[in-house]
Amino acid sequence: MSNDHDGTTRPDDAQVVVELSGVHKEFGDAKALDGVDLRIRAGEAVAVMGPSGCGKSTLLNMVAGLDRPTSGTVRVQGQDLGQLNESGLALFRRRHVGMIFQFFNLIDDLPALDNVALAAQLTGTSAKQARRRALELLDELGVAHRKDVYPATLSGGERQRVAVARALMNRPALLLADEPTGALDSRSGEQVMDLLIDLNQIGQTLLIVTHDPNLATRCASRLVEVADGRVARERMLETQS
Amino acid sequence: MNGGAVWRASRGAVKRRRVQTIVIGLVVFCSTATVLLALAVISAARAPFDTAFEAEHGAHVTAGFDPARASAEQLAATAHRPGVEAAAGPFDQTVVTIPTDWIGHAPGPLTLTGRPDPAAAPVDRVTVLAGRWATAPGEVVVATPGGAAERFLGSSIITNTGLKLTVVGFATDMSQSSGGWVTPEQMAALHPTARQMLYRFTDADTEQQLTASLGAATEGLPQDAVASAQSYLVLKQAFSAGADAYLPLMTVFGVLGLIVAALIVGNVVSGAVVSGYRHIGVLKSIGFTPRQVVTVYLTMVSVPAVVGTVLGTAAGWVAAYPILETAFTGISTGTAVIEPAGWLPVATLLGVPLLVALAALVPASRAHRFSAAQAISAGSAPRTGRGLKVQRWLSGTRLPRAVSLGLGQPFARPARTALTMAAITLGVVTVTVTTGVTGTLAKSFVPPDRNTHIDVLTAKFAEKKIEPRLTPEQTEAMLHATPGAERVSVRGLVRVGLVGQPQLVFANFYGGDDMVDHQRLRVVEGRPATGLGEIEAGPAFLDQHGVKLGDRLTLVLDGRQTTVTIVGKELQGNANAISSNAATRALLTPDPHVVEYDVRLAQGTDAAAYQKAITDADPSLTPSIVAPSTEGSVVAIQSFSTTFTVLLSVVAALGVFNTLLLTIRERRRDLGMLKAIGMTPRQVVAMTITSVAWQGVLSGIIGIPLGILTHRLIIEHVRIIAFTEGMIDVWGAPLLAALALAGVAIAVLGALVPARSAARLPIAEVLHNE
Ligand SMILES: Nc1ncnc2c1ncn2[C@@H]1O[C@H](COP(=O)(O)OP(=O)(O)O)[C@@H](O)[C@H]1O
Ligand SMILES: [Mg+2]
Repeated sequence: MSNDHDGTTRPDDAQVVVELSGVHKEFGDAKALDGVDLRIRAGEAVAVMGPSGCGKSTLLNMVAGLDRPTSGTVRVQGQDLGQLNESGLALFRRRHVGMIFQFFNLIDDLPALDNVALAAQLTGTSAKQARRRALELLDELGVAHRKDVYPATLSGGERQRVAVARALMNRPALLLADEPTGALDSRSGEQVMDLLIDLNQIGQTLLIVTHDPNLATRCASRLVEVADGRVARERMLETQS
Repeated sequence: MNGGAVWRASRGAVKRRRVQTIVIGLVVFCSTATVLLALAVISAARAPFDTAFEAEHGAHVTAGFDPARASAEQLAATAHRPGVEAAAGPFDQTVVTIPTDWIGHAPGPLTLTGRPDPAAAPVDRVTVLAGRWATAPGEVVVATPGGAAERFLGSSIITNTGLKLTVVGFATDMSQSSGGWVTPEQMAALHPTARQMLYRFTDADTEQQLTASLGAATEGLPQDAVASAQSYLVLKQAFSAGADAYLPLMTVFGVLGLIVAALIVGNVVSGAVVSGYRHIGVLKSIGFTPRQVVTVYLTMVSVPAVVGTVLGTAAGWVAAYPILETAFTGISTGTAVIEPAGWLPVATLLGVPLLVALAALVPASRAHRFSAAQAISAGSAPRTGRGLKVQRWLSGTRLPRAVSLGLGQPFARPARTALTMAAITLGVVTVTVTTGVTGTLAKSFVPPDRNTHIDVLTAKFAEKKIEPRLTPEQTEAMLHATPGAERVSVRGLVRVGLVGQPQLVFANFYGGDDMVDHQRLRVVEGRPATGLGEIEAGPAFLDQHGVKLGDRLTLVLDGRQTTVTIVGKELQGNANAISSNAATRALLTPDPHVVEYDVRLAQGTDAAAYQKAITDADPSLTPSIVAPSTEGSVVAIQSFSTTFTVLLSVVAALGVFNTLLLTIRERRRDLGMLKAIGMTPRQVVAMTITSVAWQGVLSGIIGIPLGILTHRLIIEHVRIIAFTEGMIDVWGAPLLAALALAGVAIAVLGALVPARSAARLPIAEVLHNE
């Protein structure tokens, strides 16, 4: 992992990783996003907050290329996602994006190690190499001793750490997290938060969706508040280190 | 919690699983129709003969005696011999010749028996269909297996000796003991040539027992006293000969249909329960008792199953009539009634839902045991065991990850995989059997030559009202002389009597350049009957008349007799037809009875010009170009096979389809996640197809040998066609390779739609809303 940034200063001219302009998303009559503009620079940790149903997850899905806007453009790493077809989006996610979810979404049939290795194997990396890197990551995240255990027997915190390892497998430019602590007890939640802070400190760009103010203030350098599908307010946060 | 809630929950479940509900309905529909059809033919072929035969006290053996060697007193005494349960006779018999057309029959011999009213006879209670029994000299009752012709009552028959008999009745008997009956007094005046005894024996289950019983009964009579003996087993065999062609096939398809139905219904139903774990958990958490949960799941399955059963029964019932009609065409049915048995729909209507309920019970009882907390929290049962080891091992191989994931998937649900594979395997067996049967049938026909053939019907056959201008000899010469003709074959057709047998048979006499040409008769045993006094016949004839190659028969026509030898067994043929040659015919009659000519034209001849030239020469001729044709029974077998193959393959593919649909429903979250981390739609399709393709390959490996064995079993049990080893062996390497693909094809066909729907799963929805 790179260590080019010192983790405290964010020069304005740093590379723009995410750029949303005029993004609208409608589900039938319902407006989930109603004109969102947002820029995220390399090395930033952005927290998106807001009440349930305000469009946070929808916003995240746009950035991940999991869903397409009704109108507006989404650029990630300079790539206009609107120009990509389904396969193109899949390859884009593989190379540039890592995702973690509230309910982990691990594959129940595979042990922890293979769940993590999977992401690299999809790109054609050999099983041996993929497992070696997966083990390194599990080790860094403190769950290496659980590598042969199936998700059903892992604790919630352990599952989320395995999920983070999987998200980091392909060295993504951007790590997306949707309510990463939402399903965890407070102690496990703390551990995951610390993990995210550590990652950001070594330069990982983060976009975290949450309605937990504690998570937002602890992990993020910038807070984006969303209400009724619009960015209601943005503010920089004191980073704690 | 009341029944209303259970019903509401079931209805909701049916609605939510629309595709699954349709699949269950379709599978049950196809299977029910298949089973009903198969049972209809099997039962129709067996039961009616026995029923009618027993009702009539039919004769186990109808024996004809030489009156010079056995007196009436001696024969009457045989009735009291040990082993004889009952006997009727002796009745005197003779064969008269009717020189003109008579009440719908062609001119020819007629066997008459002198017999008092048989209504209460101990054996062979001949059924009078119309009119009454003969009570006075000059009266005759005519045997008419096909049905009574009441308008002919009162008309008369005049024999070649000038005897006039008035038709007072029409009758039939399963024993087919005579062509007609007169009073014993009338018979005495006719100079009888044979004496008939009708026996029922205590031991009558096999031919051997019949022969032994007859031997015991006639012990002490001079040798050769028994001139003929007709066994009821032979008649029974002949009765179902038409159906016998289909029986082995129908039985196999019926059994396959049943198994496939059971497997897939089991698969579909258990799948519904497994994929419904969370649903079950929710139901339990809001207070459904385990029993109510089971009820919900059984109801969910019963709705489409009942609809499928009812529609399938109706469809099978409708199709059964034409199929039975085809199967029994040309068979003397006597008093037996051929129709699908009334209990069949009852059986399927009760049996199929029972089968479905049984199939549902196992997984439903699992739902019964499942704890609510487990179901809700896990969403699916936690998995452990062998399947996971396989996954583990596969993920370490060099295969592309999408492929190795697909390979491992089926191990996660071994029971479901086994059921799916069994369904594909049975599909492969069906395809193999049909391919084999079709191949054998194709091989059993002489490929037509490249020349154009003209079929020329004579006035006799074409029923033209024009008098022929030319004699048969002149016609043959003219056909030869007309430009373009290469070879001319002649077929004469006349009904002849067989001494000792009441029924007339069709005798085809071939002559001209080729004894047998486009008739495609093929002698599969012995040799073609080309010599003087030789005949050949199909297996059905040999069976029905209880004769074999080398046996001798005496043909009777216009008062003349000649003894012929059976030298050849044809591939197939009418149970009442023999083939011979013009020279043999000349021993019986100078009239060649020509019904048609077959003219092979030289290549490049203008067929239209040839046809015009010959009709100009004799307008009574009706020429037509011969279309390459196949035999009716072959077409019937082929259409049966095709129907069943399509039905069972569809069912098998539906099974695969359903399994995958369930797997995808169950793995939606996994699929969404795989896509989220960058699996392309193409990789998703590859993974899904891979997960069934290997099952298809394996099914091919198991199913093909099974199919080949089944094919052989079927072919060897088709009694009316005598296939040779060369015809049975139809399996070449390319064909086997093609069949090996059948399993994969069935699997992939069923997988295509679910694979694409998996590739299209909306990731965001799946990952966030599940
Ligand atoms: N796939 C969908 N179909 C229809 N409506 C949706 C879908 N996804 C989200 N919505 C609606 O869009 C709005 C925003 O949803 P979401 O982004 O999930 O909110 P949240 O901020 O809680 O993550 C909600 O009103 C939700 O009901
Ligand atoms: Mg959300």
